[in-house]
Amino acid sequence: MHNWIELPGCQYITGTTCDFSSVKLSVFEKIQLRIRAEKGNRTSPWHEVGSFIPFRKAQIGPPKVHLKAEDKAIIVNISPPGTKDSLMWAMDILSFTYSVVIWKNSSSVDERTETVYPGGKIYKLSPETTYCLKVKARLRLHRKVGSYSPVYCVNTTVENKLPSPENIEVDVKDQSYVLKWDYTYENMTFQAQWLRAYFKKILGNHSDKWQQIPGCENVRATQCVFPQKVFSKGAYFLRVQASDGNKTSFWSEEKRLDTEMQTVILPPVISMKSVDNSLHIYIGAPRETENKSTSQHYPLIYEIIFWENTSNAERKILQKKTDFIVPNLQPLTVYCVKARAVIEDEKWNKSSVFSDILCEKTKPGNTSITWIIAGVCTALFSIPVAIYVVKGLLRCINYVFFPSCKPPPNIDQCFSEQSLKNLLLSASEEQTERCFIIENSYSLVTVEETSQVDEDHKQYSSQTSRDSGNYSNEDENSGSKTSRELLQQGLV
Amino acid sequence: MSAKPDVIQKCLWPACLVGLFITGILSQNCALLNVHLSTVTWQNLKLLSNRSKPFPIECLQEKKAFELPQEILSHTQPVKRDIKKVFYEISSQVFNVFSQHTYKSAWEEKYLMEIQMGLNQQMEYLEQCLEEEEKESEDMKQMEEKIWSGAREPLLSNLELRRYFNRIGNFLKDKKYSQCAWEIVLVEIRRCVFYYFQKFTPLLRRK
Repeated sequence: MHNWIELPGCQYITGTTCDFSSVKLSVFEKIQLRIRAEKGNRTSPWHEVGSFIPFRKAQIGPPKVHLKAEDKAIIVNISPPGTKDSLMWAMDILSFTYSVVIWKNSSSVDERTETVYPGGKIYKLSPETTYCLKVKARLRLHRKVGSYSPVYCVNTTVENKLPSPENIEVDVKDQSYVLKWDYTYENMTFQAQWLRAYFKKILGNHSDKWQQIPGCENVRATQCVFPQKVFSKGAYFLRVQASDGNKTSFWSEEKRLDTEMQTVILPPVISMKSVDNSLHIYIGAPRETENKSTSQHYPLIYEIIFWENTSNAERKILQKKTDFIVPNLQPLTVYCVKARAVIEDEKWNKSSVFSDILCEKTKPGNTSITWIIAGVCTALFSIPVAIYVVKGLLRCINYVFFPSCKPPPNIDQCFSEQSLKNLLLSASEEQTERCFIIENSYSLVTVEETSQVDEDHKQYSSQTSRDSGNYSNEDENSGSKTSRELLQQGLV
Repeated sequence: MSAKPDVIQKCLWPACLVGLFITGILSQNCALLNVHLSTVTWQNLKLLSNRSKPFPIECLQEKKAFELPQEILSHTQPVKRDIKKVFYEISSQVFNVFSQHTYKSAWEEKYLMEIQMGLNQQMEYLEQCLEEEEKESEDMKQMEEKIWSGAREPLLSNLELRRYFNRIGNFLKDKKYSQCAWEIVLVEIRRCVFYYFQKFTPLLRRK
């Protein structure tokens, strides 16, 4: 069960309406109301009003307006609807947008509707005319539209001797902003001021918040230059005033400067490669200068213009890819290319300057095919040649290193006996024979009495050098040796 | 307005993150605004991270649970537009909070001004985007007025947020904008933004 609380301001009401604005309730919470009639001691049953969220049901009331007229403009000072500490719009005060309907008092036909900030101005009016206007507030995102304020009328003043500067433009050049304007008269001095954009939102009366732009006080030219670092990143409003020494003009129309929107797009860097009869173009990121902030990652498309060096016929290509091929070009021709980056948005006409011009000559046609055919033919031709050469080499090697050792066939006729054949054929085999040297027995006995019979042979042989009597020289032919051997064996 | 301490700087964290978040949200219609918004957001983030004053311990006892609304959008797959609205709401409420601040020193003033500028830009970019979309869809759906007059769902979520920020605002008022109150509020806002950031970024990426 709910805990019903008495609603202050709605007790013992005699009428049929009551105001409970003083209640400090949360306007975003659901509330439920019930009401009953009382007469003396008798009460009617409760009638419950369906639950609702005050914020949802709430309607925006009229804003309060205070006007101040210039010669060709009216300053509209708007206070948000509700009181200063109103609960309902406490969180939305800064989100209100105001639309003004203005018309000339004389003819209500040409009406104009404009959206203004509080403290904003309506421009392009005629001097010395009565204008009437009404203002309404709206909360866009909640789709709440308030009711119109009452109509306020004001007279624009007599035209000022000095008109306000017009057509204010802001450009970026190197590290500075260039503020330019138009003015009809010569020999005037100008001054320019700036204001942070968000002040218009939070301060109803921000007229004292305007500040001088350094480098733009009392300039004689219709432009002034100031460094970019004067303004940290954000949105600002700029205005210019003319002066001839004695009198000043009214302030010009305020020009909004959004530092982020002023960025300059750098031109891209292109490189090219010729492939057969087409050109392969690469678009690279622009060279970044030191002071510029890192690339903004705008959605960019590239406008590429290329032409034959000799002719002037230009072809334009719009590409989003940074790597593409231009096909079907004339071989052995010089083509030149330049490109620029364009922001991919129809509303925004921003583009970079063109990059440097790059020229490249296309290759002669069909080169690759020719080379392929030539290569194949050469291969086909060289294979049998190679085989032939290798065969010849192998034959040589076999002949030199592995000769077949056959005697001439005539030899068979000469030698019929087997033994001689063997002799001739196996000449490499050397017959070794044991040779025994004959020595004097005397020397033998005196020196080695105890020696064994087996060893005698060896010892005899070792002492052969002393006794040179009975044994033969080695120079003698083998025939005599063999006879000696037979003798020795007989003795021993 | 009574003097408010420089606690607000911490509040910027969430604001910046809001912006960061928002960049992901913006649809093709706002492609360029997207770019600028991300720049603005990044600047804000950098500004905020300069702030390194720790939370004063004596303020812990004044802590309050603000009940951050966890389920802000009822659909499992909330529309991009609704998410944008949520973030517009958050950034404008945080901007509100900051606009009540008065500065103690010249440095603080400059610092906070920059952040407010950034916040304002975020709001404006988002406003533009949402208005553009609204115009487009109004052109397309002129017959379906039902959608426009009703449109309960997105507003519901915003109301939740508003209740939440209302609680924060009331807390500040009750504590008479004391230093501790500001510190607590800032921590809370930072928490809030982190939460939504984490919650919605994957949803946005999915689309």
